[in-house]
Amino acid sequence: MADSLSAECTPLKEKYDTCFNAWFEGYLEPAVAASSSERGAYSKKKADEFQAKCGKVWEQYKECIQRAVKEKGLDKLLQQAREENPLTMPPPPPIVKPLKKNS
Amino acid sequence: MHFFSQAFDYEHPWSHVVIGMWHKYPNSKCTHVVSVDVLDRSVDPKTGIIRTERVLGCKQKAPLWIVKLFGGSEDAFVREISFVDPASQNATITSVNLSLSQFATCFEQIQYSPISPHRTSFSQTAEIQARMALWRSAADGLEKWLVQRFEQNAQLGKLGFTDVLRTLWEERHRVPAS
Repeated sequence: MADSLSAECTPLKEKYDTCFNAWFEGYLEPAVAASSSERGAYSKKKADEFQAKCGKVWEQYKECIQRAVKEKGLDKLLQQAREENPLTMPPPPPIVKPLKKNS
Repeated sequence: MHFFSQAFDYEHPWSHVVIGMWHKYPNSKCTHVVSVDVLDRSVDPKTGIIRTERVLGCKQKAPLWIVKLFGGSEDAFVREISFVDPASQNATITSVNLSLSQFATCFEQIQYSPISPHRTSFSQTAEIQARMALWRSAADGLEKWLVQRFEQNAQLGKLGFTDVLRTLWEERHRVPAS
């Protein structure tokens, strides 16, 4: 697992990543398999479950990393990047499509 | 502006690749990535799309002239936004540099999508662009400063040579030829 940019935050980051990964690995395959009529209910249930399982450690990690980001002077750069590219929606597909192989 | 692109397939199902996305670093081939932090994450309770904002810390030695000109350091940071959409089985990752972003931007997009139950296509594009407006204003400022210095020096040159000529010929005229 990669370190946090701040050694102080690494233990919280590891706890949070472990929590997210465990949740995500249970989430993904049923989410792919869900029919469009099931999707809403499943997504809501799993979003709530993620919050319940990882919400607390996320708050602790977030507090730590936000402080570290400020100390590194990255907060202003991030703010500027967010204004230039909010990226609140998935981007359109890239221009270059993967080559189709004849296999 | 410069472009880069590559595409290939991973011999793994899409879900395995997307689970693997969160385990990509650290790895022995990418030792330049030294830290990964999540800054924001949301699970859309309607669509199930997961959006994650991360900041990646990189250590990479820049050529000396770049460090001197731009004051860069070994530490560089990148902002990364990813979307994982289980409905369309699409994962996209967009990255933009934070460090040196006042001079140039590197905008990278990655997409993972399934091409069969056991294969996932990867496509990556990047646009690297210097901020020309900044270069232009810097070049403009440099020109203005050069013109000012030239005008000052030209003025001083004129005054200086006037003095030299006067002194030279006054002295010559004062000394009677023997």
